[in-house]
Amino acid sequence: MNDTPSVRIENASFRYPGGKSGVFDISLDIAPGELLVCIGPSGCGKTTLLKLIAGFLPCAAGRVLLGGDDVTAVNVRSRQCGIVFQSYALFPHMSIWENVAYPLRVRQVALAERRRSAESMLEMVGLSGYGERLPAELSGGQQQRVALARALVFKPRVLLLDEPLSALDAATRVTMRDEIRRIQKQQNIASLLITHDQDEALSLADRVAVLRDGRLVQVAPPQAMYDRPADAFVASFIGRANLIDGTVATAGAVDTPLGRLLIATPAGTVGASVRLLVRPEKIELASAASGENNFAVTVVHDRFFGASRQLELAVGQTLLKVDTASRAGFAHIHIPRHAVQFLPTNGRS
Amino acid sequence: MKLRWVTVAYLVYLALPIALLFIGSFGDLWLNSLLPTGMTLRWYLEVAADPSFRRAFSASLFVAVATSVACVVIGLPLAYAVFRANNRRLRALARVLYQLPVALPALVLAFGFILVFSSDTLPWLGSIWLLIAGHIVLWLPYFLQTVVSDMQRLGLRALEDAAESLGSTALQRFFHIVLPALRHSVLSGLIIVTALSIGEFQFSNLISGFLNRTYPVVLLQAFYGATGFACAATVMLLTLALTASVLGAYSARGAARFTATGA
Repeated sequence: MNDTPSVRIENASFRYPGGKSGVFDISLDIAPGELLVCIGPSGCGKTTLLKLIAGFLPCAAGRVLLGGDDVTAVNVRSRQCGIVFQSYALFPHMSIWENVAYPLRVRQVALAERRRSAESMLEMVGLSGYGERLPAELSGGQQQRVALARALVFKPRVLLLDEPLSALDAATRVTMRDEIRRIQKQQNIASLLITHDQDEALSLADRVAVLRDGRLVQVAPPQAMYDRPADAFVASFIGRANLIDGTVATAGAVDTPLGRLLIATPAGTVGASVRLLVRPEKIELASAASGENNFAVTVVHDRFFGASRQLELAVGQTLLKVDTASRAGFAHIHIPRHAVQFLPTNGRS
Repeated sequence: MKLRWVTVAYLVYLALPIALLFIGSFGDLWLNSLLPTGMTLRWYLEVAADPSFRRAFSASLFVAVATSVACVVIGLPLAYAVFRANNRRLRALARVLYQLPVALPALVLAFGFILVFSSDTLPWLGSIWLLIAGHIVLWLPYFLQTVVSDMQRLGLRALEDAAESLGSTALQRFFHIVLPALRHSVLSGLIIVTALSIGEFQFSNLISGFLNRTYPVVLLQAFYGATGFACAATVMLLTLALTASVLGAYSARGAARFTATGA
């Protein structure tokens, strides 16, 4: 592997005319073979970012480099990005193999060679034998596979996937998620996947990029993003989170609406406002009021999911989310010291 | 149960006049009875032998074909331009403008044509080309409507974006993607245009010259004569409209197939 990133975005900006939306000052690298998942709420600019890389939108400022070449001024056709569209955008009048072979047709590859390449791509995505059918005769998941094959057949410089799984039903979505990962690894191609689904982001990505209001908030591997979110937004967007505001009481304790919370890490200046993060699965249920960080609770919601149970509990006026595997009854919770994390109060890294 | 009778009643109401036309066209004598008496083919032979009907037949066919061709040549790029227009207001304006003739009575259009084209500077009244021009104004909106809504249904924009990202040029996109993907709606648009054009009376009656009167215009004269003759002439118009639609359909499909495999 060489050191040149397959995709490099340098301080790229784009603003939609007559609006505040767009993307602003984005800098991002995608290494060869890496799958970067870009996630954010709707309207955060993630699709705009994809369009800047693909060339459908021009950069108002900044540069886009593919494989080290500056393509900021290059048109869509010559950028050679394989794109999987949200609607798949298969050509309805062409058979499956003609769809897959289309990039080769416009590159003047001979018919026999086109057919052969299409067949082998279809085999790779698990659709051999479907070549003669029309797109309308395939299920959503199968159309998705065709779209992937078509986007990869011409050996693009980068694979861009625009919410590829959002149109699929829940069961197919999980299968296709693994399929995309398998194919992406097998082809070893730098990829950008756009999604608004955190499960998708955490389970697929080599690195996750969180976008908010057109700005990049944090880029990190999934585990690091979950364990050390840059701010409250990331914390609650990636995974479930309890965010608790408090004031530092002593070096080892914070006063919160729950009561005094003992913590593992030094808290900083006494009297300072802090924001704490406690992940729901780190809170323990307790039957009796004993030990430190123990609070009496009342149950607001109790949702049973088989293997797990999602609780919403009230401590005084404060609501806490708790995830547990236990089915036992309880009246108290225990928040272990190491479960309490600090978030930067005005953090945007 | 009651609903079924409503349906049956409606179908009878719809089909009865056409059925009577058929019966009348083969009936020998039809005076004051409910149904005609006797069987004959002579009305058809008479219509076929009539020089003004023969001329009207070919004039109608020519006008319909020319209008259809013009609809494809003008309508397809226009539909595409309206669909691709970036500005939403521009798109709405274009839609209102091209829908205008639908709301406009053919009579009004005809008077307008008479005013403009009976002048000394543009003395074209009575020419078959002027008749065709009028038919284009009348029927192009129906063609555009059909094609533009199909473009939206197909998500043509995403298809084109996909094709562009896969490396095709604007010209390739038009011939590989846009034209073949639209073949069904172009086809049904043409059927509508052909059928409407062949059946049109109001406008053609006022605009067409004596030598290029269209079939419906001449047909009106037939009703002053024998009933059987009028019935036979009407059945022939019906057949003409149907045949033209089917032929239009087949030729368009052939053209679409050609662009899909050739190029």
